[in-house]
Amino acid sequence: MLTQREILSTLEMLKNEHLDVRTVTLGVNLLDCASHDLGKLKKRIHTRISHFAGNLVSACNHIGEKFGIPVVNKRIAVSPIAAVGAAMSSTQLVDVARVLDEVAAEVDVDFIGGFTALVQKGTARGDMALMEAIPHALAETDRVCASVNVASTKAGINMDAVLLMGKAIKQAAHLTAKNDGIACAKLCVFANIPQDIPFMAGAYLGIGEGEAVINVGVSGPGVVRNAVDRALEADPGLDLGQISDLIKKTAYKVTRVGELIGREVADHLNIRFGVVDLSLAPTPNVGDSVGEIFQSLGLLSIGVPGTTAALALINDAVKKGGAFASSRVGGLSGAFIPVSEDLNISEAVRKGHIGLEKLEAITAVCSVGLDMIALPGDTTAETIAAIIADEMSIGVINNKTTATRLIPVPGKKAGDSAYFGGLLGQSTILPVNNGHNPNPFVRRGGLIPAPIQSLTN
Amino acid sequence: MSKAILSIVGQDRPGIVAAVSKVLFEQNCNIENVSQTTLQFVFAGIFIVSMPGDLPVESLHKNLNAEMAPLGLEVHITMLEPAADPVLPSQGEAYIITTKGPDRKGLVAGISEVIARFEGNITNLQAVFKGGDNPGDNIMIYEVDVPPRIDQQALNRELKKRANELKLDIDIQHRNIFEAIHRI
Repeated sequence: MLTQREILSTLEMLKNEHLDVRTVTLGVNLLDCASHDLGKLKKRIHTRISHFAGNLVSACNHIGEKFGIPVVNKRIAVSPIAAVGAAMSSTQLVDVARVLDEVAAEVDVDFIGGFTALVQKGTARGDMALMEAIPHALAETDRVCASVNVASTKAGINMDAVLLMGKAIKQAAHLTAKNDGIACAKLCVFANIPQDIPFMAGAYLGIGEGEAVINVGVSGPGVVRNAVDRALEADPGLDLGQISDLIKKTAYKVTRVGELIGREVADHLNIRFGVVDLSLAPTPNVGDSVGEIFQSLGLLSIGVPGTTAALALINDAVKKGGAFASSRVGGLSGAFIPVSEDLNISEAVRKGHIGLEKLEAITAVCSVGLDMIALPGDTTAETIAAIIADEMSIGVINNKTTATRLIPVPGKKAGDSAYFGGLLGQSTILPVNNGHNPNPFVRRGGLIPAPIQSLTN
Repeated sequence: MSKAILSIVGQDRPGIVAAVSKVLFEQNCNIENVSQTTLQFVFAGIFIVSMPGDLPVESLHKNLNAEMAPLGLEVHITMLEPAADPVLPSQGEAYIITTKGPDRKGLVAGISEVIARFEGNITNLQAVFKGGDNPGDNIMIYEVDVPPRIDQQALNRELKKRANELKLDIDIQHRNIFEAIHRI
C-alpha cells in the first residue's frame, strides 16, 4: 500500500517541479556500414538506423504515458562517423551528415549525434576529413550534432586539433551568421569524452558499446531546488552537510525515474539497457534551472564568491545519490551549467555576476565545461583555440571530462544578446580577455604530453 | 472450526482492540487476520476469527456487544462461507489513479463506475474531502488492478473523459513509478 505522501509528492515533482526524462538516446552501431562507395555507405546507414529507431519514439511515448512521466526528447547516437566514413573525403562526409539528418527526421528524433572524431593523440585521414566537414555539415543540417575529442588524460592534448577546431568553430559560425552562429551550438570539443553520454551535442556510440543500446538522461534541477527550498522553510538552520544529504536523497529519486523508464523502453524495444546519466540538466523554462539552486543555497547569484564551493557540493551530492539509485550510471553524471540553456545563468551573465573566467574555474568541479557560451563575433580562431586548450587542461590534469561549446556570434559584441531558440535558449554575449590579439602559443601546435598521473599501471 | 467476519465501528478511543480481543480470547476464538482504519476519529476494524465448533455465533455476538456497546461501538458478525467464485489476485497491472478538484456529489461514484466497467478491481482507496473549491483539499487515490485483457488506452481515455465531466484533474500511472522513487 502506497502512502498518500508518496503518491502526492511524486505528482508534485511531475507537475510543478519539472521532473521528466530529459532524453532517451538510442545508440546504433554503424561500423559495419563502412564502405569505399559513398552510395553504399549512405544506404547502409539509412537502413541500419531505420531498423533500430523505427519504433523509438512510439515506445518512449507509450512508456511515458504508462508512468505519467514525459520523455521529452528522443535522440540517436551513432558510432563515430570519422571511423565509419574513414575512407571518405570531407565533401562526401557532408553528404553522410545529410543522410543522418534525413533519417533522424524520418523517425522523428530531435537530434542525432555521432558526427565524431577521436583525435587525442593524432589525426588520421578520416578524422581530418570529418573535422573539415564539420562547418558545412552543421550549417546544412538541422539535427546532426558533432563532437571531437582532442585530449585525454592518457594521451595529452592534441594542440594541432585544438587549433583546427578553433578555425572550424569560426567557420561554422560564419556559415550560420543569420542565426547567431547556431551551428556552433551543435558542436562540442572534448577532453576525456565518455562513450555513453545520452545528452547532445556530445552523444556518440563508443567503440566497444555493442550493436545498439538505450541510454537515458533524466533531469530535475527544479526538483532539487524545490526540495532545498522546502527543507529550508521547515528548518532555516540547516547546515551545508545536511543540505548535501538532502540533495543526495533528491538526486536518488530523480535517477530512479530514469532507471525505470530506461529499462522499460529498452525491454519494449528488445534492446540492451545501457546507463542512466544522472546529470542535472536545465532548460530555459522557469523553475527548471541549476542556477536557481545556488540562490536557494544562499548565494546572490551563480558567480559570486562561494559559487565554486556550492557547485562542488551539488555535483558531489548528485553523484552520490544517483550512484545509489542505479547500478548503471554513466555519461556525464553531474551538474550542467549551460549558460544559454539556463534562464538563471544567462541572467547572471547579463547582470555581470559571472564571466568567462569564473565559468572556467567552476568547470573544475562540475561535469561539463564551458557550455553554450556566446562570445563576441570578432573573437579570433586562435583565441577560441586557446580557450578550448585551457578547458582541456582542466580535464586532462584532473582526470575528468571537460568540454567546450563556444559560439562566436557574427556581427555581435560583448553585452549584446544572442538568440538560439527552443531548448538552446538565449544569452548575453560574454567579453573575452584580449580576444583579438594573436596567440603565438596556440599556433605552435604539437602534443601537450600526458600528465604524470596518467602513469597508473 | 468455523470462521466469522467481525466488524467493529464507532468513535475511536484507546482500548478498543484490547476489549475485542479479550472477549475473543475468553470465548476460545482465534484472530486470524485483522485490519483497522481510522477516518475522522471513527474507528473501523475487520477481524477474521476462527471459532470453536460448538460456539453459536449469536452467543459470540452477545458477548461482544456486552463489552463494546458501553464503549459506544457497534458490532456486526457474519459467518465466512468459502467463496463460490473468489476474486483471485489479478495477473494484470496495478495502476494508481489520483484525482483532485472541487468537491461535489458523485465524484467517487463517477470514477468508480468507469473502473468497474473495465473490470478493474480497486484494491485500495484513500480519499480526503475537505470540501470547498481548493483542489488540494479534495483528493482521491485509487489503487486499481486492471486485468491483462483490458485495453489500458481505452480505460485511460474513459477515465479522462469522466474526470473532465466532473471537473477533476486526473493522473493515471503504473504503480511501479511510485515504488521506484520512494522504496529502496
